[in-house]
Formats: sequence, structure tokens, C-alpha cells
Amino acid sequence: MVKTMSLHWKVAGRAGEGIDVTGVMFGKTCLRHGMNVFGYREYPSLIRGGHNTHQVHAGFEPITCQQKHIDVLVAFNEEGISLHLDEIDENSVVLCEATQDGYDLTKYADIGAKFFDVPMTNISREETGHFLSQNIVSVAMSCWILGLDIEVFREVVSDQFKGKNETMIANNIKALERAYQYAKDNLPQIKPPSPKKPNKQIFLTGNNAAAIGAVAGGVQYFAAYPMTPASEILHTLAGLQHKYPLVVKHVEDEISAMNQAIGASYVGARAMTSTATGGYALMVEATSLAGVMETPLVVVVGQRPGPATGLPTWTCQSDLLFIINAGHGEVPKVVLTPGTAEEHFELTRQAFYLAERFHLVVFILSDKFSLESYMTMPRPKQVYENERYSFAFDPLPDDDTYRRYEVTEEGYSPRSVPGQLHGLSVTNSYEHDQFGYATEDASLTKMMVEKRQRKLRSVKPELPPLELIGPRHAELTLVCWGSTRLVLEEVMRRMPEGAVNVLHFPCVWPFPTEGFFQHAQNAEKLVVIEGNSTGQLEMLIRQETGIRIHHRIHRYDGRPFYAEDIIKELEELRE
Amino acid sequence: MSINRLLTPALIGKGHMPTIFSSDNHQPTVEQPVATAPAVPVATPNPPVVIDPNPEKHAYISKASLKSPYFPTWCPGCGNFGVWTALKNALTELQLPEENLVIVYGVGCSGNMADFNRVYGFHALHGRAIANAVAMKAANHNLKIIVVAGDGDTYGEGLNHFISAMRGNHDITLLVHDNQVYGLTTGQTAPTTDKGTKTKSTPFGAPEVPINPIGLALTSDATFIARGFSGNIRHLTDLIKRAVQHPGFSLVDMFQPCFTFNKVNTYHYFKERVYYLEETEFQPNHKVVAWEKTFEHDKLPIGVFYEDSYSVPFHQTLTQLEAGPLARQSIAEVNMDAAISNYL
Repeated sequence: MVKTMSLHWKVAGRAGEGIDVTGVMFGKTCLRHGMNVFGYREYPSLIRGGHNTHQVHAGFEPITCQQKHIDVLVAFNEEGISLHLDEIDENSVVLCEATQDGYDLTKYADIGAKFFDVPMTNISREETGHFLSQNIVSVAMSCWILGLDIEVFREVVSDQFKGKNETMIANNIKALERAYQYAKDNLPQIKPPSPKKPNKQIFLTGNNAAAIGAVAGGVQYFAAYPMTPASEILHTLAGLQHKYPLVVKHVEDEISAMNQAIGASYVGARAMTSTATGGYALMVEATSLAGVMETPLVVVVGQRPGPATGLPTWTCQSDLLFIINAGHGEVPKVVLTPGTAEEHFELTRQAFYLAERFHLVVFILSDKFSLESYMTMPRPKQVYENERYSFAFDPLPDDDTYRRYEVTEEGYSPRSVPGQLHGLSVTNSYEHDQFGYATEDASLTKMMVEKRQRKLRSVKPELPPLELIGPRHAELTLVCWGSTRLVLEEVMRRMPEGAVNVLHFPCVWPFPTEGFFQHAQNAEKLVVIEGNSTGQLEMLIRQETGIRIHHRIHRYDGRPFYAEDIIKELEELRE
Repeated sequence: MSINRLLTPALIGKGHMPTIFSSDNHQPTVEQPVATAPAVPVATPNPPVVIDPNPEKHAYISKASLKSPYFPTWCPGCGNFGVWTALKNALTELQLPEENLVIVYGVGCSGNMADFNRVYGFHALHGRAIANAVAMKAANHNLKIIVVAGDGDTYGEGLNHFISAMRGNHDITLLVHDNQVYGLTTGQTAPTTDKGTKTKSTPFGAPEVPINPIGLALTSDATFIARGFSGNIRHLTDLIKRAVQHPGFSLVDMFQPCFTFNKVNTYHYFKERVYYLEETEFQPNHKVVAWEKTFEHDKLPIGVFYEDSYSVPFHQTLTQLEAGPLARQSIAEVNMDAAISNYL
């Protein structure tokens, strides 16, 4: 099955053992060799004790997702092996501590994998006095097995502990060196020594990418309430608020988060909030408020399986139609659906421009799979420039003739902000006249409804177009949105050339009707692949274009798609 | 940033986290600057002359400047008229530049005032005005932010935001029209309705005891807490002025008769019962004493219940705002070095 030179590494153990940081350190070591890296995490909704994994796929060719087969598995307990038996075979190396953990390895003999009972905890205890450095020990051993430069890992460890106690850093380095020596003496090397190329990328999660995309886009006020899988955006921005003109507020609830973002935006700050789809359910009313007030706003929403609390730490794509239709009344909005880290960065950055210029609510709709997975992306530019749009310029007429909601052809008109002379107006949750005063007049109402909807027409040319990945013509065209592109790109690389190409929607609403028609005409056979049970993109395509698609692959068990599974189904379609 | 910036001066150096009444323990009542000042300042007949270096850059609020093209739609005799007049008096006497004031309105009869004032107005969702307001202040702290809301708005639908804003000491002024009934939806029970009161939604009597707004504000560490009565406009004007000038969260709960739907809590009812705290020996600097006052029902005290003269508002604890109001700070060039440093 494995036809590439890339590395597949996984660490598994109990929550609280530092599984995640182990994965990040291994991923960074690969990054600093100049590789592309993808790190996928699985964990239950617990703080301690549940089964956690972090899986890294790295190599010099394009890499966009994890795969099932593992080269090196680090198991901190027996479950680390028993739950992953179908991921290892005779080519795999398993590092474990069977003797210390008190289980028998012989029962796994028929798997054929090379099991090594190595003293990870002992080395850690002896060098640092604590078992936790077993992480560093395990990565150091993995470096030997996979041919990675131990000096690179040493730098990663030093950077990881920067600012901590000197003795602690020195002890960890000692543990690293002993572990590497132990590996050299006792363990095989299954990959040739890796070359070291210059690294031009950064390694981060979709959450991190969206957060720093917001920074590049000039976010000034960010309010949020924590909820998996989007909490990390709050953490990332909170840590940056003294380095940028940025105020981050962890607020009392999601309702407040959205309303605060609207308040800050109203006085002229670039504002954002983020949440999971469950939290977003509480923000629906305020979405409607921003819609009628025409206040610019960026909202990042991370999907996880529902209904209700659902599977808090797993992934899905089941809220596309919910987000597109959210908000009572007809709320014009833009829904962007990034997949890669780079898209998370770029689309969040651009969302601030779109929101501010067109006075719209702009959604970044993502999911647990890409928000919480680590990916590599090209290093962003050092400096981003931001212009300001659609503000009313001084001086305004001093005779009260300024109209906040002037009816224009493009649907939006310059807005004044509090503090600006002669710009007084009412920003109104009620239907209003051009000055903002409430009205129940029929013709005014009709005019305002139409004016707001015209903004969608105005914004359309500025939206990211449909992206056709792969050859222009293929037997199958795989239609997807959001994170599914990550897996489908891998599918395309593994299937024969010309078998499939991928049509990715980076923006689902307003629907790219003309673009989709063009691509559909060139396609031989369309297959929609999405992470829900009802086929929400497929429904939307039918609703907006009348095109009926006959082939589909769905997944709705909380797990991400795997290229191996999709290829099997596609092979059947090709026959 | 020094931790001291996050604490009110009264708490610095005490070595333990404050409990709900602790700020009282740390404040010597004898040396209170507020205690020596008159509890309610006497309105000056001739407002002080404002020396403005650039008078052409501002337009100051006046009775005339506040006039919108619309006249109130409230029922004749509604308590909202008294509140409205007191608010306009206060704004005029405070001599604020009109562009630096935002009034955020809740939804209800009170919130309908949005159309009757010519100001920067923000007519929010029911219950959410406070959430909008605290962010406005953080994003541009040069603005004065006043929230005009009802009792259902504040103590019912938006109770979470009310308590959080007090805990954060956000520098906004909250004026609550407390008419003990839902007016705009034609007469249902409110969070402030007395237990047993028959309303449209509680034909057999309201089952809950009413909320104690002043007591709730005291336990949530609000730094300025007052109660007014729309039947005494001069007194209410002065309360609103003090509230707006207070650095930090200020609450003015206002008895406001609803002529149409509340036949119990009328002007006559309040006129018979209210008395003025400043005419007693009460000093508004002790939370426990103030708290006891909130349980008086036969006679109803109005005036300032509590004022923390050491109040440090939320926005003054943010070092990011030392360079000026957030919304005015430049984002023209954003350097990404700090943002990407963790991901290399």
C-alpha cells in the first residue's frame, strides 16, 4: 500500500501524558527538515485518562492528511497497541513498555510488526526525576528509526522549553541524548537518513491559522466563549493581545460574544468571534441583528457532530445549511469554507475586507478535522497592509442630511462611527428608514429588504472562485467543500493519473452558480463527498443550479474521511 | 502589566482575594472623599463654561440638539416621559460633545426612546444592550455609553450580561426603567413584579418573588448603584449626571409607573412611599448597610446606595489602550513576526 517515502508516525496513550505536545515536537522536527507535515489528533471529551492519539504524516512530497498505515507507533500503554492493530503490519515498528506496564506482547505476534519493549519511562525518570519526559525519549528514539537528524530535534526541545528553568532543559537534553544512544544500540533504522532542506513553512492548526489570519486582517476586538473545536482561536489571540492593537475578551456566553463583536464593530473596530456550531446556535439572533444593522462582522464556526452536545471532540460537516440559513429574517451573508491551513489564514484575513467593505456578516465555516489538525503552510508575508473601506469621510454635512442607510445601487453606503462629527444616526434592530429611524412603512420596508440583498450581488466578484485541483479532465470529478479537500487531494495522488480531479468550494454562499455550471459541463461524472448524512452541498447544488448529482459518499460517524476508504468506493464507480 | 493595575486601589496589598463585601472592609469610612461631598450635588443654574481649544470640532448637546423628528408614542402619563426628560436634562447639563455619546437601547417601551433622541443611537436586541455597550466602551473609550433598558430587558432576558458587566466594572451607565410589568407586550409579569400579582401571563398570581436589583448589584460589586423615581425629575436628573460621571459601571434603577398595565405601582403609590437617602444619615459607602436598605418595602429609599470612589474601570486596566482608543489605532501595517513565532 505504501508507495511514498513519507513518514507515518503515531503516539498513543492516556490524556494527561502530554500526547499532544509529543506530536507537535515530532511534527516540528519534520518541519525543520523542510518537509510537509500533517498532524492529526484524536481525543475524547475528558481531561485525564481517555485514549489520546497524535499522528504525524511527513515527507517532501505534498501531504494533506493522515493515513491508516503507521511506520512507527509509540504506545504509552497497552491500549496504544490494542486499539490500533489494524493500522500496523510487518513493516511497522512499535515502541512500548510491556514489561513495565505489565502486559504480554506475544498475543500480538501474528500482526508481524516489530515490537520493542524499551525503557522510555526509566530513562525519563533517571535523567529528569519525572516520567513525563518519556515524550522526549520516545521522539528521540523515533528520530533514529526514521532517519531524522537528532540535532534538529534537540533545537525543537530547546525552543519548546525556552524561558523555563535551566536545569530542567539540561535534564531533558540529557534524556534525549541517552534515548538516541539507546536507539542506535538496540533499534533498527527503517528509513534512510533524511536530507535537510531549507524550511520555508510554518506548522500550525487550522485554529492557529485562522487566528493569525485575523491578525493579518487587522482584528482589533475579539470576544468568545470557549467550545471545542474552536477554543484555540481564543487562546491564540489572547496570547497576542499585548503585541497588537487587539482586545480579547472571554465573555459570559456566546450570545454576549456575538453582541460584543457587533458593538465593537459599530464603533469602528474590526471585530470577530468564534465558536463551535453548538455555540453558534446561541448566536443566531445576533446574526440577524448584524444583518439588519449592516454591521461588519467575522464569525469563525467549527463544526462538530450534533445534535446538541453530540460528539464534542470529533468532526463532521453537518451544519452547512444551518449556517447558510441562520438568522430570522432574510440575512445576507457570506460563507467561506476553508480546508487547508493556508486557506484558513487567507480566507480569514480576506473576511475582514469583505465584511468591512460590504457591511456583511462573513462566516468562516470549518470543522474539528482541519481546525485541530496541524498542517504546514507557506510562511506568511512579514507585513500585511490594510486599507479601510466604506466609512463616511469627514467632513459630513452639518445640516443632518447624512443618511446611514442611504439606498444605493450597490446595496451599501458609507457608515459614520460614533465620535465622528455630524454623523448622528440610529443603528436600528427595527426596520428603518435611510436615517435609521424605525419604520413600518410598506414601501420603505421593501426598499430596505432589496437594498440589503443587493449587497450579495456586489460582493460576488470578490469571493474566492471554485477551485479545480488536478487535471482539467478526469473520469470522476470529486465535489467537496471545507476540510474534505485535504483527503481528496491524497486520493487523487494515489489513484491513476486522469482517474479523478477535485472540485473544491472555498466559498459556498452566495452560491457560485456560473462557476459551477462551467465546471459541471466539463466534468464526466460528478461525485459529491461530504461529512454529513443528508447530502447538504448536493441539496444546495440542486437548489441553486437544478443539477442532480447521482453519486455520493457520506461519512457521519464523527471520524474524518480516509483516502483508503474513498479510493475503494471510487474504484467501484469507475468499473 | 502589573497585577496592581487590575485591582482597585482599595484592594492592593491586602494579600487575599476580595469576597463580595471585602471592598467595604478595606475602605475607611472617615476619609471617604464622597462622604464629605453632598450626596446629590445641587444643580448649578448656570452650567460651567467649557473651555474647548477647538470649538468648531465639536457640537455640544443642548435641548434643541437632542430633538429628533419623532415625538414619543408612549401612553399619556407614562413614567417614561419623566425618565426621558431627566435624561435630556442630564445630558444638556453635562455639556457633552454630541458626537461622543452613544445611547444603546434595549427592546421594550423604554427602548422605543431610540427614535425620540437625536444622538448616536443603537437600538439593540431585547436583553442584549449591555453586551453591545461594554464592547463599544472597550473599542473606543473616549465615548460615553449609556444603556436605556427595561426591567424585563435587564433583570430577565439579559441578567447574565448585567451581572458580568458589573463584575467587570465596564464604564457604562445603565438606566433601568423599572415599571414592574411588561408594557410593550401588553401586561405580563416581570422579574420585578410582586409575588401574587395577577397579570395576563399569571392569572392566578405571579409565583416568584421579585428580583432585588439594588441588592443584586451590591453583591455583584457594581461601583455605582442608585435608585430614582420618574416622578421627581430634578432628583433623577442629578442621579443620572452622577452616574454618567462615575468612572466604572453605574446602575440607576428607576421607579417608573406604567399607567396602562400596572394599576398597583402608580405615581400615588410611590409618592406615598419614597424617601430620600441623602436626607437621612445614610452614607453611600458601605455595602452591608446599603444592602439592608434594599429590603425596605413599606417605605422606599431612593438616591445613591453605593459609590466606590476608588473605582478603576475595565478599559483602564488594558495596556493595549494606552496608545489611544482601539478603533482609532492603526492597522494599516501589521507585522506578523510575533504572530508566527510559535509555529516555526
